[in-house]
Formats: sequence, C-alpha cells, structure tokens
Amino acid sequence: MLRQPLSRALALSPSRVAPLGIRKFADQVQAQPDKIEVFIDDKPVYVPPGTTILQAAAQVGVEIPRFCYHERLAVAGNCRMCLVEVEKSPKPAAACAMPVMKGMRVKTDSDLTRKAREGVMEFLLVNHPLDCPICDQGGECDLQDQSMAFGSDKSRFTDIHFSGKRAVEDKDVGPLIKTIMTRCIHCTRCIRFASEVAGVDDFGTTGRGTEMQVGTYVEKMFLSELSGNIIDLCPVGALTSKPYSFAARPWETRRIDSVDVLDPLGSNIVVATRTNEVLRILPRTNEEINEEWLSDKSRFACDGLKRQRLVTPMLADSRGNLTPVEWEDAVVAAARALRDCPPDKLVAVAGELADAESLIALKDLFNRLGSENVCTEQYFPLEGAGTDLRSSYLLNTKIANVEDADFVLLIGTNVRFEAPLLNARIRKAFVHKETDIALIGPQVDLTYDYMHVGDSASVVKDLASGTSSHEVMKRLENAKRPVVILGADQLKTPEGAALLAYTQELALRLQDKLVDKEWKVLNVLQRTASQVAALDLGYRAGAGAQLAAARVVYLLGADAGLVTREALPKDCVVIYQGHHGDAGAAIADVVLPGAAYTEKRATYVNAEGRAQQTWPAVTPPGKAREDWKIIRALSEVVGSRLPYDNIDEVRTRLSEVSPALVAYGEVQDNNYFAQARMLSQSLQKPVSGKLDVQLKKLEDYFMTDSISRASPTMAKCVQAVLKQKQSPY
Amino acid sequence: MFKALSATTRLSRTTLSRALPSFSTSSARLAIEDPFSKKEAPIIDNETVLALPEEIKEKTVHDATISVSTKVDVSPITGVPEEHIKTRRVRIYQQPKNAMQSGTSNIHHWEMEFDTRQRWENPLMGWTSTGDPLSNMKVQFATPDEAIEHCEKNGLIWYLDVPKVQKELKPKNYGLNFSWNRRTRVSTK
Repeated sequence: MLRQPLSRALALSPSRVAPLGIRKFADQVQAQPDKIEVFIDDKPVYVPPGTTILQAAAQVGVEIPRFCYHERLAVAGNCRMCLVEVEKSPKPAAACAMPVMKGMRVKTDSDLTRKAREGVMEFLLVNHPLDCPICDQGGECDLQDQSMAFGSDKSRFTDIHFSGKRAVEDKDVGPLIKTIMTRCIHCTRCIRFASEVAGVDDFGTTGRGTEMQVGTYVEKMFLSELSGNIIDLCPVGALTSKPYSFAARPWETRRIDSVDVLDPLGSNIVVATRTNEVLRILPRTNEEINEEWLSDKSRFACDGLKRQRLVTPMLADSRGNLTPVEWEDAVVAAARALRDCPPDKLVAVAGELADAESLIALKDLFNRLGSENVCTEQYFPLEGAGTDLRSSYLLNTKIANVEDADFVLLIGTNVRFEAPLLNARIRKAFVHKETDIALIGPQVDLTYDYMHVGDSASVVKDLASGTSSHEVMKRLENAKRPVVILGADQLKTPEGAALLAYTQELALRLQDKLVDKEWKVLNVLQRTASQVAALDLGYRAGAGAQLAAARVVYLLGADAGLVTREALPKDCVVIYQGHHGDAGAAIADVVLPGAAYTEKRATYVNAEGRAQQTWPAVTPPGKAREDWKIIRALSEVVGSRLPYDNIDEVRTRLSEVSPALVAYGEVQDNNYFAQARMLSQSLQKPVSGKLDVQLKKLEDYFMTDSISRASPTMAKCVQAVLKQKQSPY
Repeated sequence: MFKALSATTRLSRTTLSRALPSFSTSSARLAIEDPFSKKEAPIIDNETVLALPEEIKEKTVHDATISVSTKVDVSPITGVPEEHIKTRRVRIYQQPKNAMQSGTSNIHHWEMEFDTRQRWENPLMGWTSTGDPLSNMKVQFATPDEAIEHCEKNGLIWYLDVPKVQKELKPKNYGLNFSWNRRTRVSTK
C-alpha cells in the first residue's frame, strides 16, 4: 500500500524524483526483498515479509484448515477455521490474514489450536443441516472432511424439540446453480469470486448474526459466463450444479484428465464418467492457461454429447432421406465419389472441433488424390505473410503473461465471450496490477472499465501510423508491456487483410521500442479450437470460390453454416464426417459418424500455439469411430493408402509437418515478426468499415458450436438470460 | 550415544526417511530442503535413540536400495498378455487436485494408468462392465523416475505428463480490501 502512492508521486513531479543512485538502490531492494525466518511447528521457513502465516505454512507442507480463505481470492478472514497459536501471543491468530513477523513461532497442532478449531467447527455445525445423505456435495465436502479431522467427538447440541436450526429460503440464481441456502456457512467465497473474478457484483450478504443471508437481495440470475466456478468454490453443499444434481457420488465416477475444445484456449479439464456417460466436467489446474477456473460453456455443455449424435453411417436414398447403412456401404460410397471426381473439383472443409490427427489424415488423403483444396471454415487473410508465419495468427504474448501487461488494446473482439478465461486474466491485471484497457469495436460489457476508442477501422490505421491524437496513443507509447489483441472475426471482412497489416504495424512499432526484448505485443485471438492446428498443417483458411465448382465436398465436422446446399452445384456430393447431426449432416449425402473430444485421444492446439491432448473418457456411441481411423480406412478403399496404422505413426507424421504439434503442454516463442510486418506493408490500404463482433451479449455466448447447440442446459441458459432481461432488476 | 546419533544422520540421508510430507496446502509445490541446512539440531525420535547398534544396522540394510547395472525387462516372464503390453500406453502423471475441495491430501505422488477402454452397462444388473483387466490398475510412485523405471522393466510404452502448477508466492494482504486508491477495494461483503 505504501509503494503505490510513492511511485505515483514520483511519476507526477519530476522535481521530486529521487536521485538516480537512490532509485537504483530502491529497485534492487524491491527486486530481492529480504526474506524473514519464521518457524511453523518448529520447522524453519524463509518467506518474504508480508506473507501470511497460512502461506508460510504451505511452504513447508503444513496444511491449515480453512473455509473462507482461497488462494485466488481476496482474504476475508471470517470463518476463523484457520486459527493457530502463535508463541507469546495471548490469543490465537487467524492464519489467513495475519502477516508473519521475524522469528515468529507458530504452532499449528497445539492444544490451544485444536481447541480453537473444535470450537469453530461446533459453531458452524450448530446451524448446518444434517442432510449429508441427500446432499450433492457429500463425499467432496470440506465441512464434512474437516469436521471429521478437527471437529469434536461428541455433540452438545441438545435441541430435542427441533426448534433451533436456522432455515434460509433458497435463491434462484439461474439454470446452472442450485442453491440450498440453509447449508451456507457464510464463507463469502462466492461473493468474492463474483465481484473479483467474474466482475458481476451481484452477490452480497444481507442481515446480521443468525439472520445473515448470502444472496442477490432481489431475485436475479447470476449473469456471468464464469458462474459455474462458484459451485467448485463453495466448501459446503449450498451451491451445487443443477444439471448434475442427484446424478452421482464422487466415488462412483471415473475421472479422466482431458482438454476442453469449446473455446480457443484449451482449458484443462477433468471428465467425470460413469457407465460410458459423461456426467460432469470440472476444471483442472493449469497455471499457464485456465488457473483453476472453467467457463460455463465448457463445463455445462457436456450433456450435448449425449444428444443429436450420429451413431451410425448413413447414405441418402433416392428421395434424399438419410438412411442408416453399414460402415462398408458408406465407406465404399464415399470412396467412389472421391475417386471418380477430378482432383480440382474436390474440396475438403474442416470445422471448428476437428483434431490435428484427423486434419493431417484428411490433408494427406486429398494431396494423394491430387487436390490442394483443403480449407478451414474460419477465414484468415492470405495476402502478405498470410499463414506462413506462425506469429501472425497466434496469441504471442501467451495467456499467463497477459497478467503482467500494463496496457491492453482490444481490437474488434469481445474477449469476454470469445475466450472467457483470457478475459478473466485481463480483469485480474485490471484489479491487481492497475492495468488499463482500451477497446476498438462495438461497446460491450467486458466486466471492467475500459477506454472506448470508437468502432471504425480507421482508428486502427491512425494508431498504426502514429497520427492519432487520442489518449490511447500516448498510453500505448509509454507502456512498458503493452498488449494488442485482434479478434479473428475482423479478418473475415474485405478489409481484414488491411486491418491485420495495421495491427502488425502498430504492435511491432511498440515492440521495437520496449526495454524488455522478450515481450511480445501482437496477438490474434482465434475463435475456434481447431484453427491453429489447421493453419499449422497448411490448411488454406476459408473456403470460398472452390465451392461453386465443387463436385465432391468433404466436411470434417464443418457445422458453422459456411457450406450450404445453395452455394454448391446441384450434382455435388457432400460427405460429412463428424459427431453431431447439425448443419453439416443436414446437407450430406454420405454421413460418417466420428468421435467427440471426450471419446478420442487427439491433439488440439490452443490459441497460443500450445499442443495438448485429450484422453478418451468414454467410447464413441453406436458405430461411431475415431476420426483419423475413418479417413485411414477410406484411403485404403480409395486406393491410396495412408502410411500410418496407429496413433503413434500419425503423430510421427504430425511432427514431420511441425514438431510443435506434438510438444504436448509446451508453447514455443514465435519469431519473424519483422518479416511478417514487411510482407504486410503493401496491404496497408485505406479502411473505412466499422468493426463488429459476433458475440455481443451473454445470450449469444452459450450456443456456438455443434456440441453446445445440442445441449439442453445451454438452451435453458439462453432462455433464462432472455427472461432476466425482462425483469426490472 | 554418539553412535546412535551418527547413525541417525546417516539414516536421514536416505530417501526414505525424508519422503514427501503427506500433505500441503497450496498448488505451489513445496521445496523439500536438505535437512542439513537447518539451523537447529534435528529432532530425533526416541526409538532411534534407544535402538541398539544391531537394530540400527539392520534398519540401514532394509532402507538401502539395491542397484542393478543392466537393464531388466521382465515382460516375457510376467505372463501379461502381449496385447496389453504392446498396444497400450501408460500415462505417468500427478493426480490433479479436486476442484470441488481445498484439501490436497493424497495427491502428492505420481501415478501410472493405462488408456481407457470400453465400458458398458451390464443389462442384467445395471453394473458397469469392462473387458479390460488393467482398467483399475493405478500404481503409485514417489517420483516419476520410479514410475518410468517400473514401466521400462515391464516393457510398457509410457509417457510423462507433467502438470503446470508451479506458481510464485505472492504475499496476500487483508488490508487490500480497504485500500482507498486501488481497485482491490471491496464494494460488498
């Protein structure tokens, strides 16, 4: 707290700036603060001053029980469960809020500490209902565990007339979160999450003492794209998952670590399954991507995996209706269509959920047939450096580093809905690091204050050329670690190439002046999980002109509605391979059922260029098969056999194309920024259009791909948000 | 007495006596420091002090590891069907913390598991069936090296999945809730 005003004062008046020598010294001290020694249970530990007892104890592996304290939220200090004895202190201290002092001796397992914990547990349990047998938190409840470990062995609760326990009315906060408020122990984690991380300051407490209630005061839905996280945060069963309610106990489920594909960030997840059915999806900690949060679409769209599935191969009959057939018939029909077609009239279109293995198999097959028409649905300008240099289509700053930025410029992107957890990072920087944010594009609610610079593309041009007189220009020039994020949606427009060129110009101009040479400024935020892998593999971005003359179109999960029957010639054969009966399957003549991301071992590359793999949690339904295997089988029937028989061989092929695609979990630094800038210089044409984003409001966020469109929970969310809009609150 | 003490210090050099603590609180991995860097005298439990020299010797022998110089592959004689050795992949990983709870007990070890195979609901009883004998085999190890060694010995194809949980320690401050000029100030409670 003291540092902030001091640094501000220094920045304000140059006359009061301390002499150079002193400042240097102060810098050094700040960089390496003296660590102080404290003793936790007689174990010495060195920690920086200001660390709390609880954090110091964690350093030596001593776990202090807690309910309200959470690593990623502000300190509340209201549950008192973390009381510990500090030597020479008359009273026990709350470890979560008490900073350590030099030579402090903390006893976390003394009689006094144990007595204090027992007392706190007793008070908490006085009003906590004994409904563990019907509580969804049962088996993974902090209160249950801690009362076993630290609670009293006998009860002094003598209310045999059943007059006493507090009862609280349940709140309705939307279709995702079930509330049983009688179970609430007032840890306020949900309140802090809502106001700090989600940026929706709707939760709070009302009343005092026994009458205290956590809620929204008026009945209101929790309008956030990160709302599911408060279910995880709740240490008791007060907030539980509505779609998962009464579905399973934690010990019945199998947990398989995997990766999410419903947004471009590739959040790490744990898929809980039972009897070949995905029951729920939980986040898995990955400090470099999602910390320990997960967005609502990734978490709750999993019921879409059971609906609208393609379970059997299908062929269109004489009347144009799709009828179920055996694999052999479908593969032969597809192979015949591919073989009889002239190579220049073959087109493959990859959709947003395609994995790298099936992408490479499809591209290899098409190349063997003599066709180069392999494209993605999402467009990316091919002029200039195009997709040849990896730096021009990735998040080069990397998700975790966005936290350290001191100025963020968003161009034509609504990060909040396109990549919710990236937005949570930006908000974290906004709250904790005083980072300022500017936005060029339509005014949307990003959950934090930002400078709106306008929504016309010419603003980007002015900033790039340095002729802008806007305040943002000055801020960008002065920033030590600026970040510029361009939304990939803008690149679809005719002015996309120019916009990318200007953004590159602006970012590189800023980057050249930075002291920190490692810092990357330029970022392009892709919209889908498959795009980066497809571009890495050499797919052409965007299918357009080829479609009009196509004789055979192979859709690999292309469901975004880019390919329509109207855009194709009448006699064109459409082969659809994918897992959901959506837009793609509706226009298909041959349907080959594939596996969804929870059903296959597959590689996905996230928006930063980090390759990650999913693990099969369940088996594909019916006759559906893993995607690369379908293409491999097809290649044999077509007569140009692909040279890989198992997934390791496919991955060897992937690594031949780009070693980054199999370096799981790692992300490489990108280069050739200057070359990309040079190549795009000729594209800096005048721009006049307005920037627009596809996802503007919360109701647009929930259903964006074939899985979430099939999910009833997501449909309920859209309805609930629209209903909330009608409400006066 | 001196003998007993020196034996204890020798004991503490072996990996077993300073195995991982059973729990820790944060996602920050705890650094196990060398007991010799401690400023205080090590606390020696009574058992060690009272033990006879023979007993100490015996314990040292039991704790010691035997190293074999040549690579051992026991897969031809274990009787495990070739299908389960050649076609399966072993993932060596650290169990993630359950997102629903704050405790981190029982996850400070490394595990190996085989890839998931088909499961189905038994039509008679509704139980979940599988034809995979290795589906429940999760073996725990203290370090990834041990797990790798075990897999190589059994001729299994393994790969290591290292979680990204390293995090620098940022001191938390209760006062930030009330700071007048920062955005961390809380509006509601």
